[in-house]
Amino acid sequence: MDHKILGVVTLLYLSIFFLHVLHFAVKKEKILSFMWILLYITLGLHATGLIARWVESYRLGIGHAPLSNFYESLIFYAWCIGFVLVILKKRLTFPIITMMASLIALGFMSYASISSSVERKIQPLIPALQSNWLHIHVITCFVAYAAFVISFICGLLYLIKWKNVVPPKEMLEEINYRSVMVGFPMLSAGILTGAVWAHYAWGSYWSWDPKETWSLITWIIYALFLHARFVRGWKGKRIAFISIIGFLSVIFTYFGVNFILSGLHSYAT
Amino acid sequence: MSVIKNNIYKFLSSLSLTIFLLCFIAFGSIFGTVIKQKADVEEYLSIYSDTTYTIIKYLGFDDVYHSPWFIAAIVLFAINLTLCTYGRFARLIKTEGKVDLPDESELSDMSMVFHVGNNERENTIASIKKGYQTIYEGEEGVVLQKGVISRYGVYIIHGSILIILIGSLIGMLFGYKGFMTLRKGETKDQLILRGTPLKEVPLGFSLKCKDFQVSFYPGGEPKDYVSKVEVLDNGRVVMERDIRVNSPLSYKGINVYQASYGASPSFLFTIAGEHVTLSERETYEKDGLVMMIARSESAIHNFGPGVLVAYLDQGEPKAVWFLKDVERLKEQKIQGVNIKLEDIKEDFYTGLEIAKDPGVWVVWTGFALILFGLYANFFVYYRRIYMRNIPDGLIVAGIAFKNREGFKEEFEKLKRKVSGNGS
Repeated sequence: MDHKILGVVTLLYLSIFFLHVLHFAVKKEKILSFMWILLYITLGLHATGLIARWVESYRLGIGHAPLSNFYESLIFYAWCIGFVLVILKKRLTFPIITMMASLIALGFMSYASISSSVERKIQPLIPALQSNWLHIHVITCFVAYAAFVISFICGLLYLIKWKNVVPPKEMLEEINYRSVMVGFPMLSAGILTGAVWAHYAWGSYWSWDPKETWSLITWIIYALFLHARFVRGWKGKRIAFISIIGFLSVIFTYFGVNFILSGLHSYAT
Repeated sequence: MSVIKNNIYKFLSSLSLTIFLLCFIAFGSIFGTVIKQKADVEEYLSIYSDTTYTIIKYLGFDDVYHSPWFIAAIVLFAINLTLCTYGRFARLIKTEGKVDLPDESELSDMSMVFHVGNNERENTIASIKKGYQTIYEGEEGVVLQKGVISRYGVYIIHGSILIILIGSLIGMLFGYKGFMTLRKGETKDQLILRGTPLKEVPLGFSLKCKDFQVSFYPGGEPKDYVSKVEVLDNGRVVMERDIRVNSPLSYKGINVYQASYGASPSFLFTIAGEHVTLSERETYEKDGLVMMIARSESAIHNFGPGVLVAYLDQGEPKAVWFLKDVERLKEQKIQGVNIKLEDIKEDFYTGLEIAKDPGVWVVWTGFALILFGLYANFFVYYRRIYMRNIPDGLIVAGIAFKNREGFKEEFEKLKRKVSGNGS
């Protein structure tokens, strides 16, 4: 059931992307308002898909929130990207940002459903994951990761000149800052809840496990972003580069650590 | 001299140093994730050449997070953070004490400003004051503020980072990490400290494993490990609890975690008519007979499971195999004593992680404060409203340092509300 719903959701993200393309072709504002409505519907259905998976896991007798393996985290990551778009909606007057974000969400959805390396079965929770900290840890981390997607898009667009399509530089900087403002406290909360959980599960709130270490590196990069921006008054390309580097670090923390470096979080692959 | 001192202070409290140190720590940490940490020499030499290994060892890359340069960077960072935060905080406190009401022309120049007539004065002041805190009130007017905590957010965050560092230092100095394995029915009062070499130290109380259970999902994945454990202090049972993953036992500041489990064989013997259960490496000593289980195999050629028993024959070490399924080798004489291997059983043992960290509550405090500080810094906005009496009424001006658009909306609402009062 959940697979079917999530399959439809993937197609909807594709449609959202094509609506943007259509908008650029015919320049009708109506298409954009329709796109937003479709995004709300998609997010709702996406959530329904996750809930269906949740219910299904109870039917299998291993009931747990669908936040426990790589497949589920990819699906949830895509949902968070849509969610952050809705939070920032008021500022996203230039559709290029929603277009790129929906493309990235589409990428995660299709990777989750197509790649052979992603286990799609609902798996039981190993003892270490059986904790209420799981939910808050995963939710905060992925909302942060999603916010950093927006920051990354702004950083990337900053380096591109495309009249009337790419928002003005100041607007990009403002949206970039807003998204880091959501992402940084969320990442902090994610790291801290993870630490508390680790204390109760393994007896140590910090053990320099590769994932922990890379989350710290990511945190440091965004801390530098904020200091460079507000204390040093850095602007422009330099800030754009920091947001790109920050996102690369996020991606490495999320994918790279699972694939290349082994550690306590290895079960997430 | 004071110039040098001043320069050192400036350097130590500078943001450039902060940026450098954060980059340094981040970059240094990467080495710890790509180079295997705290592995054996052989393991390194199987991956790297002799020269590379020498460099790794010399630079401390085999244990990055405990290497002198990494610790030095963190200590320097703590100093830098303290000085920098203190300096800025002192400046804030100085300016915070002085609240003055700008004069009329200055207020008129502000981007958010409106006037009200004389007859609306009292109403206006009363309605605007709602939700705001009065920080100055005089003949000539009033100064109001809101969200003052946001001005302290940065300091709370920086302070919390220091608290977390202090907490982890307390843990490092006064805490330890170790482990203990307990078979069913076994009692131990010593734990093995982690570190090289491993060291046995007293726990201060005893743990007795009454039972250990592992359950599995239908697919074969482990579902739950539970150790039923008794805590004995001075020989008296003071606590009885199930230890599970994510649910440690805590006694006298020491936490006991369910970490792993394993199976080890135990051997049932009849020695001179007496039933004795021995496990691997365990020694039996009675009436001059000294014997130890040296080794065991699940299959010796085609003869089934066997156990190698070592004993002393007039000071000479000797060994003999007992094979469970071979009648002739099941029962043998050692130093004239009849010994029979009755059975070999697989016994589960529980692996407990034992940690003491008196700094953990300090760290938790730091965590809570940092979240509060982040909230105050990013989601609370400092706003100020000035109201000054002028000959023909009142001038109201507002100023915000962050989220100006948000304040503009609020200010417009205030303006509409005030003008809706009757004018």
